Amino acid sequence: MNADRFDLGGGEPIITLRDVAKSYWREALEIPVLQGIDLEIPRGAYIALMGPSGSGKTTLLNLVAGIDRPTGGSLEVCGHELNALDDDQLAAWRNAHVGFIFQNYNLVPVLNAFENVELPLLLTGAGRGERRDRVEEALALVNLTDRMWNYPRQLSGGQEQRVAIARAIVTDPDLLVADEPTGALDAKNAEEVLALMARLNSEYQKTIVMVTHDPKAAHHARHQIHLEKGVLDKAVEVNR
Amino acid sequence: MRWMALIWKSLMRSKRRTLLIVGSLILSVFTVAVLQSLLTTLDAVTNNPNSSNRLVVRHKSGLTQMLPRSYEAYLRQQSEVETVCALQWFGGYYQDPRNFFANFASDETTLFQTFREEFGVAGITEAQIKEYLRDGAGCIVGESLAQKNGWKVGDVVPLTGTIFPINPRLTIRLIYKSPKPSDENVLHFHYKVLEEGVPRMKGLVGSFWVRTHRPEDIPRFIERVDRHYANSAYETLTETENAFNLSFVKMLGNIGAIIQGITAAVVVAILIVTGNTMATAIRERTTEIAVFRAMGFSAGRVLALLLSEGVLLVGAGGGLGVLLANLAAGGVRESLGVAMPFFADFAILPDTVLACMAGALGIGVLATFVPAYAATRRPITDGLKAIG
Repeated sequence: MNADRFDLGGGEPIITLRDVAKSYWREALEIPVLQGIDLEIPRGAYIALMGPSGSGKTTLLNLVAGIDRPTGGSLEVCGHELNALDDDQLAAWRNAHVGFIFQNYNLVPVLNAFENVELPLLLTGAGRGERRDRVEEALALVNLTDRMWNYPRQLSGGQEQRVAIARAIVTDPDLLVADEPTGALDAKNAEEVLALMARLNSEYQKTIVMVTHDPKAAHHARHQIHLEKGVLDKAVEVNR
Repeated sequence: MRWMALIWKSLMRSKRRTLLIVGSLILSVFTVAVLQSLLTTLDAVTNNPNSSNRLVVRHKSGLTQMLPRSYEAYLRQQSEVETVCALQWFGGYYQDPRNFFANFASDETTLFQTFREEFGVAGITEAQIKEYLRDGAGCIVGESLAQKNGWKVGDVVPLTGTIFPINPRLTIRLIYKSPKPSDENVLHFHYKVLEEGVPRMKGLVGSFWVRTHRPEDIPRFIERVDRHYANSAYETLTETENAFNLSFVKMLGNIGAIIQGITAAVVVAILIVTGNTMATAIRERTTEIAVFRAMGFSAGRVLALLLSEGVLLVGAGGGLGVLLANLAAGGVRESLGVAMPFFADFAILPDTVLACMAGALGIGVLATFVPAYAATRRPITDGLKAIG
């Protein structure tokens, strides 16, 4: 591994964080979670955020994904200054630019795989035919065309996560954020999911930011960023 | 997938819960619709627009006491009076005591004029009336009553008296149609059948039904008649027909307050039940709501989806409740309408349907809004952390 600090390979930044801070308040007590985060992530990067529990990696991921707001500093992601967007604008921005992959898949149990993947497209104004084409394309990419009418309860954990990935990419977002995407999977399924994410990064140029505890998962990324007690500790390039 | 499909599938997430809440809504709306319609029906009895210029003159001591028929002459002399009809409740039955319906001995000469709205006189020919007047043992019956018993003009109806010791055999001379079903469950026969058959009734009658020229004449007329017969052997109580009917309704107690009390209790109970159910259903979906919002659904859109679920749920329950109430109303009309004529008009009126549906939808919105609003205000990151 290359241990150069915060050198993520250059190129046009898709994520720029300037002095970002995040604190939570418990009554009058301020609990700082992130402090003074300065970071540029170039388009097409595949980053693994690592660090011990409570180091702030998920909080950083949430800020980058626009589902949480910083208490200080500025974030520019996919060409938008997130602090300048109101809640509805931020929601529309997420729909257009960010795909989410969760540890527990978080599929809607009453919808089949096709409908789960179609969900984010309902907000795009795409017609029925276009939605169908895009859903089928996304499910084909995760190799689940034959399971598109199955409900989550009829799928294995690995298949559920692949449906979740199809849902994340169906709107063709610039950025994929993944929080412990293999945390609930066995080794074989985890490997399949990680391979799929690597393919999305290499073939489809999706920028991926992944939080993980698992060194094997982190090894699939191109860079690892380590956090320690809410501050960036180091960035390392993964040598394969 | 369309938005409606998404809402429907979300509602069907827990079929048992959905069916139970719809079931409780059906029962509640059914109860409210039936009770409110009962109130409306009773209200119509005591606020009959046809009664606006009709009065009842009866014995001050009660309905079981008689008045001399000679009073009729005095009543007719009053300038306000258009017509007077002597009327006596006969209380007979046909074949079986359970086959009970309203039947009266009445002054055949003034009956049609006094109750012209009820008899739908426009549809009755002079010849039919003459036929009835000609036959002293004739009777007239409403079409609804005739249909129930399979009667037609010319049939003989033997009535068994329960108050008076006679069993008249009456020949149907006229079957009339009336604008209100309740007015078609009645039989009238000539007053002299009663007078001749029951010696103690000679020259006596239970009540006079007076039609005045104008409603404004009524207060003056009431005051004069009752004053005229004050301190006589047969003191009178004169009142409007609506007031007369109200005295019967009052025998049921303060039914309006009872019904409104039950309605309020049902509404509060269903609001609590629906609110609790929706709160539970939404709480179980905390993570899912957060995922929706992470994917780009705005808080407002999620709120609208959740509210749509609540409204659809109570709309279905309310609609089915009203439908069931309508079916039940038909059963009430059929089973009670003859014995208690005002039930022949029992119906779930459009106003009641609208009020029930508006109430149900209001409950749906209110019961869903509070937990749904709270859920959409919760930070997405908190929702994702929740055990869903």
